[in-house]
Amino acid sequence: MGKRYFFLRIGGPLGPERSRRKDDIMNIQNIKAYFRSLPALLRSYGRVWLKLTIQQFESQIANSRGAALLFMFGKLFRLATAFLMLYVIMGKAKLIVGYTLPQAILILALFNFVSTISQLFMRGIYMFRQKIVDGTFDFYLLNPLSELFYSLFSYTDPIDTLLVVPYLGLVVWAAANAGYPLTIPVAFILLLIMIIGFVMVLSWHILILSIGVKYLEVDNTIMLYRDLEKMAAMPIEIYGKVGAGIMTYVFPFALIATIPARYVFGLYNPLYLLGFAILAVIQIKLALYVWHRALMFYSSASS
Amino acid sequence: MQKYLSLFSITLQEIFTYRLNMLMWRVRQVFVFLIPFFIWKSVLGGGGDIYGYSFAAIMTYLFGTTVLRSLVMGSRTIDLGWMINTGALTVPLMRPINIFSFFFIRDLADKLFNLGFMFLELPLIYFIFHPPVFIQSNPIVLLYAVSSTLFAILIYFYINIIFGSFAFWTRDIWAPRFMLMVVMEFATGAMFPLDMLPVVWQKIMLALPFPYLLYVPLKIYLGTDPLWLNHLLIGLVWVIILWFIATKVWARGISSYESEGR
Repeated sequence: MGKRYFFLRIGGPLGPERSRRKDDIMNIQNIKAYFRSLPALLRSYGRVWLKLTIQQFESQIANSRGAALLFMFGKLFRLATAFLMLYVIMGKAKLIVGYTLPQAILILALFNFVSTISQLFMRGIYMFRQKIVDGTFDFYLLNPLSELFYSLFSYTDPIDTLLVVPYLGLVVWAAANAGYPLTIPVAFILLLIMIIGFVMVLSWHILILSIGVKYLEVDNTIMLYRDLEKMAAMPIEIYGKVGAGIMTYVFPFALIATIPARYVFGLYNPLYLLGFAILAVIQIKLALYVWHRALMFYSSASS
Repeated sequence: MQKYLSLFSITLQEIFTYRLNMLMWRVRQVFVFLIPFFIWKSVLGGGGDIYGYSFAAIMTYLFGTTVLRSLVMGSRTIDLGWMINTGALTVPLMRPINIFSFFFIRDLADKLFNLGFMFLELPLIYFIFHPPVFIQSNPIVLLYAVSSTLFAILIYFYINIIFGSFAFWTRDIWAPRFMLMVVMEFATGAMFPLDMLPVVWQKIMLALPFPYLLYVPLKIYLGTDPLWLNHLLIGLVWVIILWFIATKVWARGISSYESEGR
């Protein structure tokens, strides 16, 4: 199985190799072989991810237990202040763009849960600049699995992993508190929205990594992305039609909280998700194209 | 004096080395304003007030926190922990320059950079969103507000020295800094004015140094703080307390510094 097989099947290579691949793809035997090998390939990625994640846990426990506690406390404190702000504003205003306080709480809880999950998996982006600057990225390129996989998924955050369960509990409580208890069909659609949103979030992370390869800059770009993402903690309607449009069709932020919440409230037709699925595929293909272009600029200067 | 000017100039050149990084940082500062702007616009844009704040008052507060953040919280001293852990601190220690002055001059360069861009960005925000902003014209009030801002700059500087100095004893400097950032985001009044909280909480908050970074200078500027003189004096007291702690912590830490990594 080729090194970049998994990711290139979505994004595709460039130049002469691209036309050769096109011929390959037309060959039905190749397609069958690809799908036959897919479970084994996913297992390989899964095994490596699990190993890397266990290493992260071990490292955290061995070296920085106190720091882990501080991080956990900090994250919970930040969440508490976000809820407090909502209470302070809505304690007096009662409604925010038509949403009641319990509904706004559900949006905030959903944002917190989904955003934590995406950050939990893609923590590697925060270390990426250093990998480029000190030449460690060379080793990612030499590894048998995708360099994108190592760049994004190799630093799963143990603290976020531990916090996901109480955050999920908060979502379930907030939904019940708003008068919309989560049923299995609703949870299934929410999961579908999350998967589509995750693909779009992944696309943006790949795009930011591409900027990192070309311009040696990731930190403030990813922090800017996070700042923008924070806008999703509130109902996106507050940003006006243009703002809400950008947050829905350009960035995946509407899918993080407002759209799932609207579905829970019975205000969203799940058939629209088909359009988002297509958008997610377009975004990921575009991101992978940019990534492969950016790799051409990688000069391995420090190693 | 020449050496300080050179240090100032070199720090500015460092900031401009990674231009995209610099640009993204500035764009982030604009978004820091935009998110609360939209939240408050959706609540107060149609008129009325909350906790005595009209839309104009809250916009002035937000505009003020955006400017003050750049001025007070623009800092290079946040690199201190990293410098200790990598041994990079050895270089400035060997120079014929007071180490606190070294960091403070670097901070001033960062503040000038931030403020310079603020003067470009604020008119842009103003012309796009037309937020109603109150301009203080009383020179006495302005003088007190400037004094309070100077105290805020010093408070933040010494807090950074103290937190950076933790690196003398531990490599986990990011966790306490993260905790500090989270607490400051709330306790400085950056999220919302602290007088929106119940009175008990206001009193607890005002006993900490954090409100003296943004909330108190702004309230003095707006002329809406009935206890402005008390708060100005408490700000000064915090400067002295934190200076004392910073020098003690630094003296203890530097005696155990091993320049690891060099």
